[in-house]
Amino acid sequence: MIIEVKKLKKTYEGKIPTHALKDVSFGVKKGEFVALMGRSGSGKSTLLHQLGLLDAPSSGEIIIDGTNVVVFTEKQKTEFRLKKLGYVFQSYALLPELTALESVYLPLMLSDIPKAQYIKKATEMLEKVGLGERIHHLPKEMSGGEQQRVAIARALVNDPAILFADEPTANLDSESSETILELFKNLNKEIGQTIIMVTHEPDDKKHVDRVIWLKDGIIKPEGT
Amino acid sequence: MNIKASFFLARTTIFRGNKGTLVMTILIMTLAYVNLIFISSVFGGIVEAINEQSIDNLYSNIVITPADDEVYIKNKDAINSIDTIPGIVASSAHYINDAVISYDENNNGRDIQQGKWIIKSIDVEDESKTTQISDSIIEGEYLEANDRNKIVIGKEIAGKHGGDLDHLSLGGVYVGDKIDVKFNNDIKRTYTIKGIFSTKNSQADQMAFITTKELESMLHVHNLASEIIVKIDEKGQEEKYIEQIRQLGLHDEDIKTWEELTGFTSSASKSFTMISIILGAIGTIVAGVTIFIIIFVSIVNKRRQIGILKAIGMKESTIILSFIMQAIFYAIIGIIIGVSIILFIVRPFFINNPLDFPVGWVSLKITFNIIKISNISLMVAALIGGFIPAFRGTKESILDTIWG
Repeated sequence: MIIEVKKLKKTYEGKIPTHALKDVSFGVKKGEFVALMGRSGSGKSTLLHQLGLLDAPSSGEIIIDGTNVVVFTEKQKTEFRLKKLGYVFQSYALLPELTALESVYLPLMLSDIPKAQYIKKATEMLEKVGLGERIHHLPKEMSGGEQQRVAIARALVNDPAILFADEPTANLDSESSETILELFKNLNKEIGQTIIMVTHEPDDKKHVDRVIWLKDGIIKPEGT
Repeated sequence: MNIKASFFLARTTIFRGNKGTLVMTILIMTLAYVNLIFISSVFGGIVEAINEQSIDNLYSNIVITPADDEVYIKNKDAINSIDTIPGIVASSAHYINDAVISYDENNNGRDIQQGKWIIKSIDVEDESKTTQISDSIIEGEYLEANDRNKIVIGKEIAGKHGGDLDHLSLGGVYVGDKIDVKFNNDIKRTYTIKGIFSTKNSQADQMAFITTKELESMLHVHNLASEIIVKIDEKGQEEKYIEQIRQLGLHDEDIKTWEELTGFTSSASKSFTMISIILGAIGTIVAGVTIFIIIFVSIVNKRRQIGILKAIGMKESTIILSFIMQAIFYAIIGIIIGVSIILFIVRPFFINNPLDFPVGWVSLKITFNIIKISNISLMVAALIGGFIPAFRGTKESILDTIWG
């Protein structure tokens, strides 16, 4: 297992505490393409944020590649996110001042890789997502689908152990959505990339190996 | 911390961000810097004008007065040797006499205007090398070496020449008028006014001058002095020359620098210096707050981007450094443009159009020290003003910054 989740709980404190995740346990094998699905408010995005070390759970364990990451300090989490995890956000999340190439090589720059090497690798990654001709374009000069592909290239450029995608097609038209999902599927098949994707589109099921259904913060069997 | 990544982010943000914002930011930094230099320079100019007036019209650089209980400096050899010390430009020996000067306009013994004023005797040639009174004649002429029965007086004594003490003056005398002088040994003599001078130093304008030969004949003395003023070629080296003057044999005499004698003007210049420091500190704080606001607004606008950068594994310190680099960049450009404006526009303007202050003509005194202090102040202000909002901005959780 590349991910093991044990009795994970997340409660948002307030006048009335909200239990977003209630005793969630599951595992993900290396090379699996998993979808987290459920209705709005089911806890799927909350679960992704805990797995991706973007938020801290209230209790439980998250073991990634044999390490319990819940006990990490902020510095360790930052380092772990850089080296082991990749993210694709719903709304592209590109920096407006950076070209596609710069957006993609930024994580490599943070890893202290020589310039020539990170430019070469970032260029190759952009070619892999079909943007070889657009490397010097700014986000405002690209379509939504293209921007999301840049975000995918950025997420993958450090060879992450796991790629997290939070509703990556929510802001895209159907054609671009299909392209992105095909890209994920190919990455999964060709290089064995582990992918965990949050989606609310029932049709996305056909692209993934497995669906984890969430309802009111609890994992439910498919179809319930 | 990844300095290369910080620099990369700062560079792209500055040069690919909104050009209007960049120009406005640099303009604000430039104005903040010019303000820092200008305020300090004006007050520096005022202090210098006060000091220059004291040096040029009253004390020169060094003043030698008799030993305690003595009326005159009696070491004639020493007096004559002062000018031989290398670096001493000239010295001028004075007899000083508190005299009553009176003016009877109608020569009828009625409405006599009189007052007690200081009369100094001068060797015209020596005096011209040590003070600038001879250049301040506003009516008539300065004394000549062989003048007898002639006197030059300050505008405060003359009255009606733009002085501040008309109520104490002779009520308005002019060149050619005859005035009576009663010296403190009760000898009385009539003098013709040869010239009236006006400096920017009220104390100097309350003095009158006659030739040394004239006063020596009155006091029945020769080759003595009540005071000697000494001009040196390098202001600020007074103590060094005082030591050399003492070695000539003037061991008991009181020897002071112009700074020790300035009294009122010294306290005025200290006050101006203090005001300058306070305004400089306020200017620095304003510059710091300005940078803080600029970076704070930038961070508010880039809140989501900060979250993204943290999410992809960028350390908080790297993000903070990128904002500090931006602030430092704005400060450096502000300094470069500000120095150019000060040195090539403001300074030449004030050299050609000095400000007319009661203490003298005031230009900007822009020293390397003022520029250095202003540069350091602005850089420190940029550092702090950039760091605080960046530190606070990066401390927000990733989820809050990305999704609000």
